[in-house]
Amino acid sequence: MELKYYIIRRLLLLIPTLLGLVLLVFLLMRMFPDTYLIARYINPKSGIPYSVQAEQARAALGLNYPIFIQYFFYLKSLFTGNWGYMSTPIYSGPVLQGIELYFPSTLQLSILATILSVAIAIPLGTYIGARPNSLADQLGRIFSLGFYAMPIFWLALLLQILLGENVIPGNPLGLFPIAGKFSLASIPAVPPPWFNPSTGLTGPTHLPLLDAIIHGDWQLAISSLRYLFLPVVTLTLALLAGILRFIRAGMVDASNQEYVKTARSKGVPEHLVIKRHIRKNALIPTVTILGLLFASLLGGVVVIEEVFNYFGIGVLALNAVYNLAIYGVLGTTFIFGVTLMAANLIVDIAYAFIDPRIRY
Amino acid sequence: MMEEEHNQLSEVSKDAYLRAENLVTKFFTSKGIVKALDGVSLTVNKGEIFGLVGESGCGKSVTATSIMDLIPDPPGRIVSGSIFIDNYNILNDLPKLATINVKSETDVIVKRNKKLIKRHNFVISKIRGKKVAMIFQEPALALNPVLSIGQQISENILLHNRVEISNSIIRRESLSESDIEEFYKKIKAINDDFRPFVNKWTRLYAVPEAEEEMENILKSGADESYALKELKEVVFRQKRGNNLSLIAMMRDYYKVEEFLFELTLKLMEAESINDTTAVARLARQIDDHKRAIKARFSGFLFAKKFRRRKYERVFEEEARRRGIELLTLVNIAEPGRVYDAYPHELSGGMQQRAMIAMALASNPQMLIADEPTTALDVTTQAQILDLIRDLNKVTGSSVLFITHDLAVIAEMCQRLGVMYAGNLVEEGNSSEIFKNPLHPYTTGLLSSIPRVDVKSKNEIKLESIPGSVPNLISPPPGCRFHPRCKFKMDICSEKKPKLMTVESNHKVACFIYSKESED
Repeated sequence: MELKYYIIRRLLLLIPTLLGLVLLVFLLMRMFPDTYLIARYINPKSGIPYSVQAEQARAALGLNYPIFIQYFFYLKSLFTGNWGYMSTPIYSGPVLQGIELYFPSTLQLSILATILSVAIAIPLGTYIGARPNSLADQLGRIFSLGFYAMPIFWLALLLQILLGENVIPGNPLGLFPIAGKFSLASIPAVPPPWFNPSTGLTGPTHLPLLDAIIHGDWQLAISSLRYLFLPVVTLTLALLAGILRFIRAGMVDASNQEYVKTARSKGVPEHLVIKRHIRKNALIPTVTILGLLFASLLGGVVVIEEVFNYFGIGVLALNAVYNLAIYGVLGTTFIFGVTLMAANLIVDIAYAFIDPRIRY
Repeated sequence: MMEEEHNQLSEVSKDAYLRAENLVTKFFTSKGIVKALDGVSLTVNKGEIFGLVGESGCGKSVTATSIMDLIPDPPGRIVSGSIFIDNYNILNDLPKLATINVKSETDVIVKRNKKLIKRHNFVISKIRGKKVAMIFQEPALALNPVLSIGQQISENILLHNRVEISNSIIRRESLSESDIEEFYKKIKAINDDFRPFVNKWTRLYAVPEAEEEMENILKSGADESYALKELKEVVFRQKRGNNLSLIAMMRDYYKVEEFLFELTLKLMEAESINDTTAVARLARQIDDHKRAIKARFSGFLFAKKFRRRKYERVFEEEARRRGIELLTLVNIAEPGRVYDAYPHELSGGMQQRAMIAMALASNPQMLIADEPTTALDVTTQAQILDLIRDLNKVTGSSVLFITHDLAVIAEMCQRLGVMYAGNLVEEGNSSEIFKNPLHPYTTGLLSSIPRVDVKSKNEIKLESIPGSVPNLISPPPGCRFHPRCKFKMDICSEKKPKLMTVESNHKVACFIYSKESED
């Protein structure tokens, strides 16, 4: 009962957070000189003098209004889907459409990496945390500290060298393609209607793996799975290292608590002491930092997409920055913010499930 | 005279529930070996409250944790000694568990036999909680914050009382009209208060919710046929319609498991006295039973893994009922609400009550209370002490009560032991010790209590024992108290005094009373 109210309250809290996020993005935009904002709306070859065109653009964008009124214009266009235009070498067109095309790939990478790393880290962390200073624990600590300290792009490069297809000639481990989303060779000469040759994207989800499964193209599905392997493994390793450290620390901390002694004094068998009494408490700090780790993961995704040439919103954002496509930058920033908010929401709800003390 | 003493000792040990002998517990730290317990022997008889008193750091809590075999390893280990609980030595495999190679104070190599330790822990875990339960000092820390009170109480019941639970469910479900008629006849035969009988009967048949209504019917004085009809209705309403054959099968399974555990205990006992024929016979018996379990219950065990809820629900319901009853027993108002509450929602006193309910959950015959009132305010303290004393009377379980508060000891305990620096220095009837303390340390402790009734001007100044508890890494040689003792003799720093009976039921370890030393 209390949990339900907590979740409702937490959902309502999203509204002010979202407005705050919009405000931040808006202020970010207004920090640019007006000339940058109107540049996209000026055609130097039209023969109309610059000052006239600029005045028209300013009027069209509402830049002549006071800044707080502009905020409401911005809000309106944000919620009506008018996110501006961007033009970059990899994508030109409405920002919202670009996000729709590329965001699923990013989401796929992050969600797969998160699920995989949590699914590995919890049993592994329980195992090593229950045996502090054993051999398994030492190895686990070396592993997690090593990968936690390693820059993610460097890890990506190492994995590309070790497991990349055709990177080292004759390497028996070189099984996985190092760039792209799928092999073009697996697309027949006459492409199916759900494949768009001009963007190189599939429909309807824009995720090659999912689309191939939807349309029953198993060859493409397997190909895209192989392409997905390296980026997901890189992200998983990086995230796993962080989570593992916290679960281990939490386990060690919890096993020194008085209630563990109580549990043992009741005659609870050791495996249940670990599972029911120690791990449940150890997950509380872990879940707390999972939100933070997810934020760093989003940063990592941008890098990983670039290294593996895996077009997602990270590549889109980077291209928008390189090409001074301001509306592209703002749109992707907003999407990153919303993703983070959603992740934090999930973390908070999970937190309430685990720890009854915060369902106040 | 010696002969007489021995007789007395064996007389006492007959109704001893807990008997610790020469318990030596050490902690191997990087700063040196902490000799926390140095040959502690104590006996707690059935149904009595035994107090253990001493300054902080004298080894009271270590004694309690050693008795529960809960010494954290590493760094600590029980090095030698035996602990008889209900005449079974839980430390009978102690020498085989680990070899301790002491190279120097700071360099100790403990080689553990992991397989035997695993078996040892398995056996101990079935004794802990079931035969001996413990109440801890700070309920706020000793209760798991993420599990509800109910989960923590029922955990205990579900671990140890499965056979009993299934039996009472079967009894309830197979209650017949003739059972009720018999019950009515018995009630009519009781002349005085029938409530205790109703209480017992409802517990036996697992229908405690019907207790109040049954009492009302019986009190109303209705004629026999009407009362019987009403009683039947009230009692039969409690039936849940469980699948009896399933419960009977589960009961059989848990019974066989319990039997297997008894065999394991016997095996370990035989191993400890090197009785090879018995070991071989028992080992074979255990194997046979394990095979029989596999053959007979494999289907059930497999199904239980995948349909846990179906099989566990009956037990969980019953555990909940018992848990709520226990909470009522420890005087918690609104037991139903508290059962579902989490520890942080309760006050300190309530938490300690819940803790006591948890310890009582599986009907242990002994309770170890490790300073249960230290973290509570004074009024709550008094309530908790009353509660423990009442429970001792009602359930007849023994209590090992650990405290540094002499007033509490005087109020609670029949017998008491005084500890100093890892040794039991005096033991006896508490009234006797308070009247006539023998050991200089006990005398010092007693004269450091402020007293309202002594008003003479000279005596207003409180005495204290000079110095403080010694560092147990390098304790003083001989009697550990001698550096602080007013009556120090030469022998005190050379030899360790033995705990000797000086008067009936009064033992002391001091060279003033006897020159006998340990080895």
